[in-house]
Amino acid sequence: MRFQDAKPDGRAIVYAHIQADPLVARVADLLAVATTVQRVLGRAVMNGESTDPLVWRAMFPTLFGQRAAAAGTPERERSEAILAASLQVADRGEQTRSQFRGAVVEALTERLLAERTNPVRRERRILFDGRPAEIHPYDVTVERDGAAEAWDCKWGARGIKADVIHQLDDARTGAASEGGKLLVGLVVFDARRSCEVRLVRERGPVAIEGIKLIALEGLDRLAGRKPA
Amino acid sequence: MSTTVADLVARALAAFDVLVTTAEPVSDEFQYVTDLTTVWGARLNAVAAARGPEEAPADADAAIDALAAEAARITDPHRAIDWLSTVPQIALAALGEAA
Repeated sequence: MRFQDAKPDGRAIVYAHIQADPLVARVADLLAVATTVQRVLGRAVMNGESTDPLVWRAMFPTLFGQRAAAAGTPERERSEAILAASLQVADRGEQTRSQFRGAVVEALTERLLAERTNPVRRERRILFDGRPAEIHPYDVTVERDGAAEAWDCKWGARGIKADVIHQLDDARTGAASEGGKLLVGLVVFDARRSCEVRLVRERGPVAIEGIKLIALEGLDRLAGRKPA
Repeated sequence: MSTTVADLVARALAAFDVLVTTAEPVSDEFQYVTDLTTVWGARLNAVAAARGPEEAPADADAAIDALAAEAARITDPHRAIDWLSTVPQIALAALGEAA
């Protein structure tokens, strides 16, 4: 089993500019240390219609209302920062923000994994002896001897599709056929319930027990932490 | 008269139904939308069954109003499907429940 940089195509070159945007890094940095409700806020705002922060403050009373952490505390400041940065993403226009959201999930996954293990890489292919190389790279990989990992990242549960599941399963079985071990999984910035129903419908003949599912509520597991 | 948890769950479910209607044109996702309706309906109804008569937190009323208004603003059917996860999570958070 070998890891290799993906050959850049036109889509990758365009997408690389999105990935390198400082706003992607800012949102990912904030979400990496966020609570579950703060992450729900980020998802809602980045995928919402309203651009008025007052609407979102009203919708999340446990972050901004009387039940929230006091103004000036780190937790409250983080809620405000997530709201502001997510509104900037929402303000980019539909097509651009869709790419931004995907890039945010990848960058977030990279940061969380890097807390637990290394080396963490982006956009890598995995090659196995005697097997044709897969076309699509994995979004985030951990290339550690004896403890390698390959993760596909999705903004929403609808990104869980049969071909994605099959590619992950193929990589896992490919590693096993060489006597190696590869942990494979999906990181989805969406509710676990929604991901589970999608995964069950899309899995086909694949034994999904071999594929890890990390949903929005469990993102801290990537970093080896308990949910905040 | 105070608002109960059951009242707010009913309004959250109504907002969810608005999104289901908006999502209807995406016929390929009919089964997924049906599955989401089942699992999230069960989750929200479980909250109503456990805490229904309880007085809702004062700020939860305005939160569900804002949530329902946002759901009604969504006209794109694909975004409506994405929001079928988000509406219940926001409603649960407003009610002090785990997402």
